Amino acid sequence: MDKLQFSRRHFLRGLGVSLALPVLESILPASKALAAAAGPALGRTAAGDPLRMAFLYVPNGVNVEKWRPQGQGRDYQLSETMAPLQHLKEHFQVFSGLEQQNGWAGADGAGDHARANATILTGARPKKTAGSDIRLGISVDQLAAQHLADQTRFSSLELSCDGVRKSGACDSGYSCAYQFNVSWRSETAPVAPESNPRLVFERFFGSGKGAERQKSFAARQFRQKSILDFVLDDVQDLSRELGRNDQHKLDEYLTGVREIEQRIQKAERFGPLPEPNAETPNGVPEDYQQHIRLMMDMLVLAFQTDSTRISTFMLAHDGSNRSFKEIGVNDGHHNLSHHQSEADKLEKIAKIDLFYTQQLAYMLERMRDTKESNGKSLLDNSMLVYCSGLADGNRHSHDNLPVIVAGHGGGALHPGRHVALEKTPMTNLYVNMLNTMGVPAERFGDSTGVLKDV
Amino acid sequence: MRNLSCLALLLSAIFAPAAVVRAADFEKRVVPLLEDYCYDCHGEGMKKGGFQMDKYKSVDAHLQDTEHWFTVWKHLQSQLMPPSDEAQPSAEQRNEILRWIEKDVFKVDPNAPDPGRVTIRRLNREEYRNTINDVLGVKFDTNEEFPADDTGYGFDTIGDVLSLSPLLMEKYMAAAEAIAAEIVAKSGGQIPTKYIGSDQFRGVDDPKKNARTLRFAEPASLVKAQAVEHPGRYRVTVELNVQGSMEATSHTAKLGVLVDGKEVQTAELGWDNRRNIKVSTELDLTPGEHQIGLTMTPGTPPQESENPLTARIENVNLHGPLDGSHVEYPGEYYRVFLDGPPPADAEARTAYGRKIVRHVAERAFRRPVNDATVERLSVLAREVEQGPNGSFERGIGHAITAMVASPRFIFRAEAQPEPNNPGKIVPIDEFALASRLSYFLWSSAPDEELLELARKGQLRANLRQQVDRLLAHERSERFVDNFVGQWLQTRDVEGMNIDARRVLGRRRRAEAEEIFSNRVRRAMRQETEMLFAHLVKENRSVFELLTADYTFLNEDLARFYDIDGVKGGEMRKVPLAEDNKRRAGILGHGSMLVVTSNPTRTSPVKRGLFLLDNLLGTPAPPAPPDVPELEAARRGEAKLTMREMMEVHRADALCASCHKRMDPLGLALESFNAIGQYREEEDGAKIDTAGQLITGEKFADVRELAAVLATSRGDDFLRCLTEKLLVYALGRGLEYFDTPTTAKIVEQLKKDGGAIHSLVYGVVESAPFQKRRGDGEHFTASN
Repeated sequence: MDKLQFSRRHFLRGLGVSLALPVLESILPASKALAAAAGPALGRTAAGDPLRMAFLYVPNGVNVEKWRPQGQGRDYQLSETMAPLQHLKEHFQVFSGLEQQNGWAGADGAGDHARANATILTGARPKKTAGSDIRLGISVDQLAAQHLADQTRFSSLELSCDGVRKSGACDSGYSCAYQFNVSWRSETAPVAPESNPRLVFERFFGSGKGAERQKSFAARQFRQKSILDFVLDDVQDLSRELGRNDQHKLDEYLTGVREIEQRIQKAERFGPLPEPNAETPNGVPEDYQQHIRLMMDMLVLAFQTDSTRISTFMLAHDGSNRSFKEIGVNDGHHNLSHHQSEADKLEKIAKIDLFYTQQLAYMLERMRDTKESNGKSLLDNSMLVYCSGLADGNRHSHDNLPVIVAGHGGGALHPGRHVALEKTPMTNLYVNMLNTMGVPAERFGDSTGVLKDV
Repeated sequence: MRNLSCLALLLSAIFAPAAVVRAADFEKRVVPLLEDYCYDCHGEGMKKGGFQMDKYKSVDAHLQDTEHWFTVWKHLQSQLMPPSDEAQPSAEQRNEILRWIEKDVFKVDPNAPDPGRVTIRRLNREEYRNTINDVLGVKFDTNEEFPADDTGYGFDTIGDVLSLSPLLMEKYMAAAEAIAAEIVAKSGGQIPTKYIGSDQFRGVDDPKKNARTLRFAEPASLVKAQAVEHPGRYRVTVELNVQGSMEATSHTAKLGVLVDGKEVQTAELGWDNRRNIKVSTELDLTPGEHQIGLTMTPGTPPQESENPLTARIENVNLHGPLDGSHVEYPGEYYRVFLDGPPPADAEARTAYGRKIVRHVAERAFRRPVNDATVERLSVLAREVEQGPNGSFERGIGHAITAMVASPRFIFRAEAQPEPNNPGKIVPIDEFALASRLSYFLWSSAPDEELLELARKGQLRANLRQQVDRLLAHERSERFVDNFVGQWLQTRDVEGMNIDARRVLGRRRRAEAEEIFSNRVRRAMRQETEMLFAHLVKENRSVFELLTADYTFLNEDLARFYDIDGVKGGEMRKVPLAEDNKRRAGILGHGSMLVVTSNPTRTSPVKRGLFLLDNLLGTPAPPAPPDVPELEAARRGEAKLTMREMMEVHRADALCASCHKRMDPLGLALESFNAIGQYREEEDGAKIDTAGQLITGEKFADVRELAAVLATSRGDDFLRCLTEKLLVYALGRGLEYFDTPTTAKIVEQLKKDGGAIHSLVYGVVESAPFQKRRGDGEHFTASN
């Protein structure tokens, strides 16, 4: 590594960019950094294969009665809503009794949808503010991503099907940032998800076709280096004239620059781009199901090519009032979720829930059918959480959340069961998953321990 | 010495510590009023609405809770408290408390208010797109390429929430490259294309005829003289569409293209291939005038049951010389390459390169750049120019990539001395002021005139004149789009999830969507935005937003509103006849009525909230958890009207206090359904729109409500609009120390009869727009 790189890193830190850097790779020769990372099984299964972690979020809770399975342990019956998953029963486990305490109103009053969305992966209480000083906590995926940053080209992938944001204020005095992001890289910085499958694809595999991709990618990285030098000098000039809060914004910029820089270094280390053997998607499909499935395809592709091992996918943000004409539900999902125990509304909610589990089934099938080396499937080597931040949308309950954990975690997990727990923080599950990923964590968010039996 | 200490004792007796005086004043002047008018519900053990005024351990603690007093201040100021059915303080008493809060709690000095502090703002998607377009002449679709911006206080201009994730940074990097690549790609000049409108052709036999539409059945010959300057090979192209029948027909015709009387190309036209037909050929032309001709020759006639066809000629164009012996540079080219193509001489090229990077950087960064920056950019440019596949243009492109990726482009930073000293208040420099102005009124970077005034230090001296100029410029449409689009949420009309089939009670979706079509939705959005734009253009009173006796319609929207006499797709100003006056002002606009509805029905609560929030500036507190949904009232009962349902709903005292504020407003709008159509009954029951505001005013229907909002609640409306505009312009939420700023603008606005320019001047001339202070704890005048 040349001298310039080192001084730049120095400079970045001098400006107060506080990042959890697992390995100070910039001052280590690339090969050594790799060797150091290969020591503990960071992001790998016991067999040494890449281990993946994904979180799928569905909004507004569920029809609780139709969601809950019958019986416990291995000998249990899937619920009506889970029927599309019947043939995959050996590949997932259902959890009851998990909760997000910080989702409840407490002293903060209304805003359960914002809180449902905000708490689900962070286990932290969002600071109630419509604009200035948003504050939450790092999300489980991002914590893992920061530890695994060195392992793959991209540290993580954030997806959503929500592109257009409604104008005006969001839920009950909470900034929209809480309601449209599940991934948070720090207390104050949400990671905006991508909703356009074409852009996801091009980001991972380059633009153009076949060999063109490789060439355009390499040329671009070369040019980017000189641009980065320029903008970093600009940052330095600018930072002298700015106050503390401005500095935070500039730090966000620097973090972004640093990631691009790392990517360039990584690309040099990882060699040629992976070949996805797939066409670049055209853009955002009009049909919701197609959109979801295309995003799932992107996710699978990213995992399959080991471009990243960590992903979140928000199928829709909490409070989403999307209607589902394709399955004959014309009312808005959010309106319906205030069902007042009315049979016809509950029926419609169950239909929507079923629609969503059908999409999950698609995703799990794709993962099951994607074979890795030594005969294992992608699903064997993954941990995938499917969840909502509310149980009953009418009561806005944040306990007994609907949670499915799919995949075998490279043999670490015990799918094929219904695990009925009593009031257990969802973050206890996350601590287990983090540890399985090789991330040394004893606590996360509001966790009270490790959920051992997963 | 002794005398001195005596004096000190004496002085301290006279000038007791400020806090002691303040507390005594509070007990003497204010507490009696609070006891009379507030404590019945909010003191002495009562805490209605969760609000308690005597819960503090000490007077000092009470006086230090500025948030608490800000709430009191807002409710008193808007006369929401005490509620109209309770004893009312006199105007003097009300003022007594308000002025006391401002002076002793907020400690604001109306003559030198704290300007607050705006965090550096990242350009939002709109601003980024416009800036790139206006500075570099490149169209870049930020909605497609960038994730949506987070909003705060209802707007996407708020510095604190405009965060920059690594993903976005990566996209900024890619965008900078794509934008520069486009500039490079177009820098080689373009082969000219001359477009000849079909209406310029004249019939050979009948000079009254033109070539816009040519009927298949009618033989025709038309001609147009066209000058050619440069000799060479040209391509002549006719672009057309075939129209006249949705169903297949056997009607055909032959189109002929002639140059100087000689047929150079023909095309068989029919039903099968109807859209975007291009008929073209290449030929050599000499300089001078040439006759371009079109002929139509009938072919197979349509069969009896079939429709006849016509050709709609979109344009005829002449492209060449094709060998590139003469190229043209589009206007955008000169935004970057300001003196045209580079000179051959190496030294002159370098100097030209420097000139270009300085010129572009000043515009992209919105302020002068120093020599060091110019040098760094020039070095970047030359590296690429002299590298593999290099060229002068590619070099410049590379430098532009660096500029567009720079934080100086992406952020609107405002330099200031002592950035971390909250006591340091300074006027922002004129370049920062130019940016604040142009991003406020154009959502884009300052243009040359603004920059030139800033360079000369004359912008402040010419502020109003510049505001007028910016407002008169077509770019101010963006202000209307972005401000009104978010304030009145017109941005959402087109995408709003509304089930027209259910609202209209139709069986087929297509039928319902024909009535509430995308065209109607678009027209609704335009209606509201055009009203605002009209007020800006003619400097009319903002009260016309509520009471204008005219609106903006096209045929689609007029038909939807059931208003006669509007023909054609173009939106225009239409006076409202007496029986259409219910459409007067935004309360009768489809946009407002649609964005406040649920997918299948109206929501008086949402509508009421919308008016409280956006017109009166007195938002209701959020609903408590576990609140039953409206339809809960319906269960077990016979079918209730919306009004009856809501009455059941607010029988609960907890709900009543807020619903008394929202419901009368929302119910007044019940004469419009969820897609904004007028109705007098619902499910056979007559709709009752009469009501009373919590402040006491009675009204019978939406027109009377609008009148109330514009007269006796007029001050609230002005204050609300002023606050919204301040938030939008400043990029931050308002704080208690902004109250004198708002009050001052409103006062002047009233004097000026609500003239909208007075409002814009007021914002632009206000302390928070003109000044900034260092970062840190809130600065107040007295401590």
